[in-house]
Amino acid sequence: MKMRLVNRKAKASTRWTSLWIPVIVSCLTVTGLCWHQTPVAASTWSTRWNPKIRYLDPVALAMSPGGKRLYVVCEGLDRVLVVNTHNRQVVGMVRVGRRPEGIALSPDGKTLYVTNEWSNSVSVIDAGTLHVVRTLKTGWDPVGVTTDRAGKFLYTANTLGDDISVINLSTGQEIKRLAAGHFPEYVDLSANGKWIYVSNLLAKLAPPDDPPECEVTVVSTAKQIVTGRIMVPGVIQLRHIAQAPAQDGGYLLIPFAQPHNLVPLVRLQQGWYMSNGMAVIRPSHASEQKTRISELLLDNIDQAFANGFGAAATPDGKWALITESGANTVSVISIAKLNQVMGKIPASDPEALSHRLDTAQKLVVRRLPTGRDPTAVVVSPDGQFAYIANRTDDTVTVVNLKELKVASTVDLGGPRQITMERRGQQLFFDARFAYQGQLSCSSCHPHEGFEDGLVWSLEMPTLGRDVPENRTLLAIRGTSPFDWNGINPNIQTQDGPRTAALIFRSQGFSNAEVRELVTYIRSLKLPPNPHLAPDGKLTHSQELGKQIFFRTKTDTGKIIPLDERCYYCHSPLSHYTSRVREDVGTSTKYDTIQSWDVPQLQGVWMRAPYLHNGEAMTLEEIWTKFNPDDQHGYTSDMNKNQLNELIQFLKTL
Amino acid sequence: MRNSLRVCLVLCAGLFLLAPASVMAQIPKLYTRWVNYTAANGFPRGEVYSVAVNGNQIWAGTEHGLVLIENGRVEKVFTTANGLAGDAVISVAIDKQTGDVWAATFGGLSRYSAGQFKNYTNLTSGLANDLVYSVAVQGQYVWAATAAGISRLNTETGRWKIFSEQNSPFAEPWGYALAVSPKKIYMGLWGGGVLVYDLADHYWRPYTDPDGSMEIVLYRNQGLIDNMVSSIAYDRQARMFWAGSYFGLSGYDGRNWHNYLTKDSGLASNFINGVLAADDIVWVSTQKGLSEFDYKTNTWVTYRPADWRALDMARPDEAHRGEILITLPNGKTRRMETPTSLPHNYILNVAYQGKTIWVATADGLSHGFPQPTKE
Repeated sequence: MKMRLVNRKAKASTRWTSLWIPVIVSCLTVTGLCWHQTPVAASTWSTRWNPKIRYLDPVALAMSPGGKRLYVVCEGLDRVLVVNTHNRQVVGMVRVGRRPEGIALSPDGKTLYVTNEWSNSVSVIDAGTLHVVRTLKTGWDPVGVTTDRAGKFLYTANTLGDDISVINLSTGQEIKRLAAGHFPEYVDLSANGKWIYVSNLLAKLAPPDDPPECEVTVVSTAKQIVTGRIMVPGVIQLRHIAQAPAQDGGYLLIPFAQPHNLVPLVRLQQGWYMSNGMAVIRPSHASEQKTRISELLLDNIDQAFANGFGAAATPDGKWALITESGANTVSVISIAKLNQVMGKIPASDPEALSHRLDTAQKLVVRRLPTGRDPTAVVVSPDGQFAYIANRTDDTVTVVNLKELKVASTVDLGGPRQITMERRGQQLFFDARFAYQGQLSCSSCHPHEGFEDGLVWSLEMPTLGRDVPENRTLLAIRGTSPFDWNGINPNIQTQDGPRTAALIFRSQGFSNAEVRELVTYIRSLKLPPNPHLAPDGKLTHSQELGKQIFFRTKTDTGKIIPLDERCYYCHSPLSHYTSRVREDVGTSTKYDTIQSWDVPQLQGVWMRAPYLHNGEAMTLEEIWTKFNPDDQHGYTSDMNKNQLNELIQFLKTL
Repeated sequence: MRNSLRVCLVLCAGLFLLAPASVMAQIPKLYTRWVNYTAANGFPRGEVYSVAVNGNQIWAGTEHGLVLIENGRVEKVFTTANGLAGDAVISVAIDKQTGDVWAATFGGLSRYSAGQFKNYTNLTSGLANDLVYSVAVQGQYVWAATAAGISRLNTETGRWKIFSEQNSPFAEPWGYALAVSPKKIYMGLWGGGVLVYDLADHYWRPYTDPDGSMEIVLYRNQGLIDNMVSSIAYDRQARMFWAGSYFGLSGYDGRNWHNYLTKDSGLASNFINGVLAADDIVWVSTQKGLSEFDYKTNTWVTYRPADWRALDMARPDEAHRGEILITLPNGKTRRMETPTSLPHNYILNVAYQGKTIWVATADGLSHGFPQPTKE
């Protein structure tokens, strides 16, 4: 489908708006038939073509080598838009796979590679004709993508596979998968073309009372193997990677969140929930030299800039830009000042500034407003402009880098109508509702509703006790009550007064906003399950596991008491949860209660760690380590094969 | 060093002068120089169970950890303190695609990838048992032979599958050795002979000793020599598998068995710990030395310390002269000595690195170099 120029679109839009009511009233059938024939304006077409409004949700950007074209990946619409950077108009688009998330250009700029997170594929697009010329298979849920310098191999970060696909572009075949960290999301080719850096969103799985540690995976493009794993201590949610200055020997700048999850969250003065900043990494690829890792906070003392996301640097090495999706800002950082700050960090103590809130004022020269939920940022090849994708208002902010101010905002032509769900999405990413703007819902539920894999010492009445593991927001409709202690009967309670009092420490959302937020949260879906065949048929092992899940007798024929059967608590009739609290013998001396809300099992394959306190790092551990008395289902008679089969079935849910 | 080489060359030259030309053509290239890695140069003392080569990296599984040697130097000894699943590393396999190192230990299975270990145990994963005797990599699959069956991990999906007496024609679940070809997996079972699994067609083919558990050989090529298979190897060029047991060596070419015992071949001992096969050359690690068998010419060469019978009484790290014993197809033997030697006669494993070999012994690791080519 080709785009038309905006002035034509605007006319069409006006014409349509003025006509649609009488047309529908008088000749609904004819109009319906005509829908597929009529040219459509960008500002309205999505509302017309789809029974449900679909927003664009721009999340990734790339520029053509000459800087004339800006490619905008729209995850909400499964399309890539093309923006003419001269007149800043949308001039084309191409449909790709489901939920596109990342984009890369071939070195000659003639080919686009777009990852399709929910199709497990890459769309290969002719940049001239905007046609998909082929589709390449990848690992699970790819996001970040890059080619090597020669354009012969493609690398994708597969978020749910915890790995990196290496694809031979001449054959189109995936030749290998490399182990990454936990939830690898973004990739960047080093300035010298020798390395590919992969940032991982989630912390390495570890015992719940261990401080989090997040990985930057280093891949050699020559050997096509992982040659390094740079562990950034105390942080999660490493996002986009910028190299500054963009030459060999520069720094990697990667936005992060620094969670303070292991201490009771009652002390504002000691950092409270989380700090926001960036990792500054000088990688060393020689074994005798140590990679230098520092962490610098970009929050001010009295104002946080939550959810650092995009990162880019100007070609002249003067500025670095970090978008803050929770603050709706972009911070402009002086690289010269960054070098000064880095020069003062003693080599013996690279983390000297990791927790200091006076660093930002030394580095950040400007905080510029963006649209809602700014994600990716790119800089034009001439260094004149930066472009920022604003996910939840379907715009691109253009920053004049000479004057360091916003030059304009490009309307990508998303639906004008703002639904309750859309408003809820905007609220979900907005940190301004929290005290000093420190966090938003998405801070602890990154990647639109996932859990962050951490335990949080949340509750005031039981200070330091009942430290629960974070839970997913995906597909939670119909699974109430909420919270591990089941105290919240519905999402409204969870996200309304409770969030205001215990999490945001603020006035919180209004009643109307809570309704909008709840509408959005209830709309969040699980990604397609790679453990399940496309036709939904179970494999032999999965079928055997299903029989174990629904069994009523032990291997020896003994009747299993009702409350020790899997399906008793995890009823398939209600999302595999009984929606009550159950004592499964997992409480510890640090807990004040014995029974816990039964979690739903859909999507359990991607929700490690497990149990209320995150003690089980794998599904196996639930039964091999934490079920000694069969309180968490009768499993003691099962052999290893049966346990493996049960787990294989659970992973299909 | 130069003197040693000279002595060696003289000895070799003497041997060649005595042998007729037709015989000389049948003798494989001899390994005449050995560089040993023992406690004296930072290598853990004691048994070396396994060795694997990845470019210029040598990975040795020992009873005290996983050892990395690079450029002739012991770079690192990884133990449970560094994240290894168990200190006793019985088998090591390299994933040539990713460069990851898989270590079979007596505490589970470890994957070493770019500086970090990820462990798979009976409690934390679908691994059948923590006593892992062998590991092999076959594309995206990693196979682990354990005391409770053969486990297979799909590294791309994370799915585990266990093959044991419960779902496959195993005599008993104890897996001891693994070898892979592109389409098949060869399993050496303790008491169960050899099981071959065809990955494409999902069928099993068991190979067992026709006389059962009796330690006799009725006639030479009757079938598998013994059901207690300690080691297995697959020769891709020859399309043969070789199985070592504590009672002799068996090879199977798809039609016929080719069995070898000390009484009728140049095999150093019937007590076999490991086999390696490539290009019709079979390396047999035995308790009385390392035997090299050229299948095409039916020529045997055994390497061991010259004083191997008195080795247990020797001082640790004492230098030894080496012994090479050549058994020609006509049964005649020739013996020669080399100035350097394997550190011990009890051999557990062997691996190629280009034209050189690495040998795991009961008392250290050894790097063997072939006799220099004449100008």
